[in-house]
Amino acid sequence: MSAVPSPATPARPSAVLRLFEAAKGAPGPTLAAIVGILLAAFAFIVPLFAPDPFNLASTSVMDAFTPPMWMADGSKVFPLGTDDQGRNMLTALAFGLRTSLIVGLASVAIGLLVGGALGLTAGFAGGWVDSLIMRVADVQLAYPALLLAMIIDGAARSALGQQRDVKTAIAIVIISIGVAFWVQYARTIRSSVLVERDQDYVAAARVTGRSALGIVVLHILPNVMAPVLVIATINLGVAIITEATLSFLGIGIPLTQPSLGTLIRNGNNFLQSGEWWIAVWPCALLIAFVVSVNVLGDHLRDVFNPRLRGRS
Amino acid sequence: MLAYASGRLVQTVLVLVIISFIGFLLVSNLGDPLASLLTADSTAADRAAMIKALHLDEPITTRFLSFFGGLLQGDFGISYRSHEPVAKLIAERLPATVELALASLFITLLVAVPAGVHCGVHPRSALAKAIMFGSIAGVTLPNFVVGIALIGIFSVKLGWLPSFGRGQVVDLGFWRTGLLTASGLKAIILPAIALSTFQVALVIRLIRTQLMEVGLSDHVRFARARGLTDNRIWYVYALRNTLLPVVTMLGLQLGNIIAFSVVTENVFAWPGLGSLFLQSIQAADMPVISIYLILIGAMFMVINLFVELSYPLIDPRVLRRKA
Amino acid sequence: MSAALLEVRDLRVELKRGKQQLTALDGISFAIAPGEVLGVVGESGAGKSLTGAAIIDLLVPPLKRTGGEIVLSGRHLDALSREDMRKVRGRRIGFIAQDPMTSLNPVLTIGQQLVDTIVTHLPVSKEEARQRAVRWIARVGLSDPARRLDQYPHQLSGGMRQRVVIALALCAEPELVIADEPTTALDVSVQAHVLQVLRDLHEETGVAVMLITHDLGVIAKMADRVAVLYAGRVAEIGPTSEVLRTPRHPYTSGLMRATVAPGLDRKALDPIPGSMPNLSSIPPGCAFNPRCARATAECRSQRPPLVDYRDGAGKHACFHPLEDGR
Repeated sequence: MSAVPSPATPARPSAVLRLFEAAKGAPGPTLAAIVGILLAAFAFIVPLFAPDPFNLASTSVMDAFTPPMWMADGSKVFPLGTDDQGRNMLTALAFGLRTSLIVGLASVAIGLLVGGALGLTAGFAGGWVDSLIMRVADVQLAYPALLLAMIIDGAARSALGQQRDVKTAIAIVIISIGVAFWVQYARTIRSSVLVERDQDYVAAARVTGRSALGIVVLHILPNVMAPVLVIATINLGVAIITEATLSFLGIGIPLTQPSLGTLIRNGNNFLQSGEWWIAVWPCALLIAFVVSVNVLGDHLRDVFNPRLRGRS
Repeated sequence: MLAYASGRLVQTVLVLVIISFIGFLLVSNLGDPLASLLTADSTAADRAAMIKALHLDEPITTRFLSFFGGLLQGDFGISYRSHEPVAKLIAERLPATVELALASLFITLLVAVPAGVHCGVHPRSALAKAIMFGSIAGVTLPNFVVGIALIGIFSVKLGWLPSFGRGQVVDLGFWRTGLLTASGLKAIILPAIALSTFQVALVIRLIRTQLMEVGLSDHVRFARARGLTDNRIWYVYALRNTLLPVVTMLGLQLGNIIAFSVVTENVFAWPGLGSLFLQSIQAADMPVISIYLILIGAMFMVINLFVELSYPLIDPRVLRRKA
Repeated sequence: MSAALLEVRDLRVELKRGKQQLTALDGISFAIAPGEVLGVVGESGAGKSLTGAAIIDLLVPPLKRTGGEIVLSGRHLDALSREDMRKVRGRRIGFIAQDPMTSLNPVLTIGQQLVDTIVTHLPVSKEEARQRAVRWIARVGLSDPARRLDQYPHQLSGGMRQRVVIALALCAEPELVIADEPTTALDVSVQAHVLQVLRDLHEETGVAVMLITHDLGVIAKMADRVAVLYAGRVAEIGPTSEVLRTPRHPYTSGLMRATVAPGLDRKALDPIPGSMPNLSSIPPGCAFNPRCARATAECRSQRPPLVDYRDGAGKHACFHPLEDGR
């Protein structure tokens, strides 16, 4: 954990070399990291230049169902083919992955915020507040992220009615996935707080009139960084799969907005009639990204804390 | 043991009451039951009668008590979408889901136990490495992608198996089964495989890790020193020792398995509880959603209670530790 | 020696650690006559348990037998297939495990484990096997044998479990039993009882015993002959009374001076200086030479062969053997 250089010091000349050494020791995770970064770059850079394929003005139904370019009837304009609306699959993938990534990252952030706050509260307050929060956490474990997200989504539909705009729909998906994640962060942070709470320096801070909370947060931060990073990486994979599943089931992101899930949902309609590429590309992209995130997460877990193995 | 069991029982009941309360809050606060249940041409008298029938004029505690009392008597409320009793909807859909779950459990045991034992006994063999690679795919691949792939290969490409529905069902009076007809059996194969992939992968990995540990134990070495056959040692002497963690883990994964059943039922248009749940979400049919939530909680708690109470049967040492 | 039940010639066991090839057993040779008790003694790490494990092909990788012959009643065990070797284990050669607390399967009853072992090797029905199991439990001195059959290991004490282990080792009627430190894990108060059970069964059934122990007192009480192992080699082997009264090898003599045991007539402890070398640093010549007061240049350069003394009654591997135990 001390391997993270502090931002104040200039990068040591050996940093690149050390990165290279680390990569040589773990070729799998290194490959996963490279694939993950390339895909993320693809998702965030392509939409800056390419026209939005989900803007009807930029597509032509005349191009619909063009197969990938190496097949008969393929076109170099659409390397991976087009879908039923004549959208370029290649750019649609970039837009879709971008939405999925934003949803995934945002829901991990929400889980971290909610879990961090509840974990700090539970650890600091102790007593019945602690018991209540931790019992709720226990009960919630019966409901995995996917199921919980479905239920929250249903509740949100009831509360808001069926007419929602795309932004609200995305926000609901982010919240319903994010809320499912809070338990792990809360547990990790609570146990760290419990360790630090009774240390002498906290008592000293109290005596000198400084905020004990602030002091403890400052002290547990380095302790919880590593496990939180591990949990967050693994959760990112879960979040992206959950988003894709919800959208595939038609209860996540609406079909008018591209995400990996909506692309697969759309493509699934044409699997039977032979236009396989509409479903296969987003499936492959989803798998490639999730697998690389998971490989990376497992590696981080082993590196930071072998005791975490088998959990989560 | 009795004190321990009753303690766990009280805990379980308490949690179930809390889950029911959350379910109740969802129904009572979200959506408008009157607007959902009354038709456009209903009169003020109809409205008043409906308020009375739904006890909307009573305080919240009374309403929860009557809601909870209803739950215990099998009165699950009325669906906003179909205007039918929720209990009836669930009873209609239950057989399909139970049969799918049993079929996938059957596949899990049939595939995962021998595969897990092989990987635990010969962790370095080529087959074990292939199985472990496949199991990584099994835990990481999204469930619906597995379903789509199965349909793409076995229905579209090869045309061997149907991709949707239950096939022909036979009504036994209390139960409508698809397991007695050829088309029903063919129809259950793909969804059962799709639903079992996650469990299969999980059980293989669990058995493997556990067996590798047990394989190094003194009692397995002593069993070998007595000349017992390899099959007997691994499948009886070692496997028995891995059951406890495997059963525990499966119990805790029940939530995931239920969630995946929703996805699988959707992919294969399987007319079970999961499909009902999904349709209810899309229609914001709160009574069905909250009952489903309560049922899942109840199932999770009860099954895990049984798992824990069965520990002494699996491992005789547990009783002594608890006592 | 041609009448030997078990003959071990030049047994070698090696292991690979990294790129290093280490020798754990370096040319062990000995024989056991039918109905005889051979004690195998030495410090921990000398290779006693390894010798036992190597005979019944139960070495844990990376340990591997790389040479030598193991002959049981004229049959070469070293050339047997896996399956044939399995049939020898339990049926021809029994094995008494070291730690009774961990050697019994915790989730199976005593009866299941006994019956399984009996029906694996003997052509008897399950019912007959059950009756034999009851008799074996009675023979190892447990009360209420029929009830014990349905008990689990955790319901028995350590001494009782070790009796069960002995019953398991003998229930398929082997000609030889390898007892690997059978009493080391037990309370001192029950050690004597368990040894007595082993001794009684040895006399009743005529089974030969290879008794592995670091306890010279046990050897004095139980063994007809004794083999002293040092750093994976045989230092001395001979009739127990002879070896203990007039040790030829300086190591045997040192080992005895470092032991207080009844019947050994020692008044004060006199530990051997230094410690046994580990596998990666065994010195050239006699492995004992750095700790030996009699060592000469010859001892440091050449390995002493195992030679007969007193017309083959015993053997020792020493260039400068002691006379009259001094």
